[in-house]
Amino acid sequence: MDYLLLALVAGLAAVERKGFLQAMLSRPVALAPLTGLALGDLQGGLLLGPPLELLWLGAVNLGAALPPHEALGAAAVTGGAVLAGKALGTGVTPAVACLSLALVATLATLGRRTDRLIEEWNVRLAARAEALVEGGSLRAALRANLRGLVLPFAASFVLAPLAAALAAVAVPAALRRFPGALPPLAAGWAALCGFAAAAGARAFRAARGFGLLALSFSLGAVAARLAGAWR
Amino acid sequence: MTVPRATLRRVFWRCLFLQAAWNRRGMQNLGFAYAMDPALRCLYADPARRREALRRHLGTFNCHPYTAAAIVGGAIHHEERVAQGAEPETAPLEYKQVLQGPLAAVGDSFFWAGLRPFFGALAAAGTLALGWPALAAAILVYNALQLWLRWSFFRAGYRMGDAVVERVAALSLPRWAERLRTGGTVVAGLAGGLLAARSAAGGAALAPALVAAGALAGWWVLSRGARLLPCAYGAMALGAAAAVALSRLRGGR
Repeated sequence: MDYLLLALVAGLAAVERKGFLQAMLSRPVALAPLTGLALGDLQGGLLLGPPLELLWLGAVNLGAALPPHEALGAAAVTGGAVLAGKALGTGVTPAVACLSLALVATLATLGRRTDRLIEEWNVRLAARAEALVEGGSLRAALRANLRGLVLPFAASFVLAPLAAALAAVAVPAALRRFPGALPPLAAGWAALCGFAAAAGARAFRAARGFGLLALSFSLGAVAARLAGAWR
Repeated sequence: MTVPRATLRRVFWRCLFLQAAWNRRGMQNLGFAYAMDPALRCLYADPARRREALRRHLGTFNCHPYTAAAIVGGAIHHEERVAQGAEPETAPLEYKQVLQGPLAAVGDSFFWAGLRPFFGALAAAGTLALGWPALAAAILVYNALQLWLRWSFFRAGYRMGDAVVERVAALSLPRWAERLRTGGTVVAGLAGGLLAARSAAGGAALAPALVAAGALAGWWVLSRGARLLPCAYGAMALGAAAAVALSRLRGGR
């Protein structure tokens, strides 16, 4: 049941990402918590959403250029981490998040290739629609537009649970076999979080970007520390 | 003959499916024709004229999915005049061809490189500071803004036709995009600081230093053109290696 839910969430996110609406629901910051919620671990999704969003903040569909499929990546990483956390009984910890990301993140690159193939396939849809218009079947021609939503849905519906299953099996097995790896993996996650913040800041290409990043990073850390002490 | 309001709303709804069958030859052509169809059905009772109009809108088209709403609205504006015999059949096509490039550029720079990443960073920082209510609020505000702007573009295109260019220009979107990019950099940095503070709360003394080191090294390598994902793997590997090295140093004492 978990895998079916994950497949549905990932498929719908792929549709929302480009074919319909573009309302940020397929961005990692929203999709990771939604995936976590669907799989019964909202907190796990909330832990993964912010770093994944920052990491893929520059993944934008400009013109005909295709970015990495951040929605597919986020759904698979979150699904894998949540299911691995459930299997371990710990929930999503930094070590689980790190290992899931390491195992599954390349799916975002595979997703870009899938997008390219779908765009090629859609040429046929368009050609068929044009032929139907010539033949006078206007309604049938226009229905082809909605048929374009099927393949992105299907690709993510299949790929996200497959990749998540890999993480859900491999991560608990690895962490049980090598319990000493927990602190280094948590440290790897911390370094990844910092890298993601830099990638997010870089995505804006603002003037004096490094100065702004350094200043606001320090402010954020100090403010959080003060808020923690105040509580 | 004008298009009724209810039909205009239907066309706007269909604009949300503009990229459903994005393809490498006609790009958004199928989506554009799909969006225009309810209006064309109102304007052309004669099936042959309607088919001709639909064929016009199956030509190659590509624009930003939000700002394209202005072109769909403007295309209906011109189709009304074509149906009345006040303009030649080439007028809607010329309108599309002239506007798609500039509006794509405005949409890409304002929405894709400014507003959406800004709200992405804001949602990330909000989630870290305040949890899911801040995330939900950021998503809601973004969508209220983007849907309002899309509807405004559509309505302006329909009412003003070619003059929609001045309407869009009056919004000074490139200037706002610049401000959003500066603001977004700050919010992404804040999110990084919050991640560092949160990692310290986990009890690992080394973690905040690793978050800071990851940000510094990340900026350095990315500004030299390094690829994102290999660098992300590198960051994880180096963080893990630093933890192992430190534990060995401590064990050796």
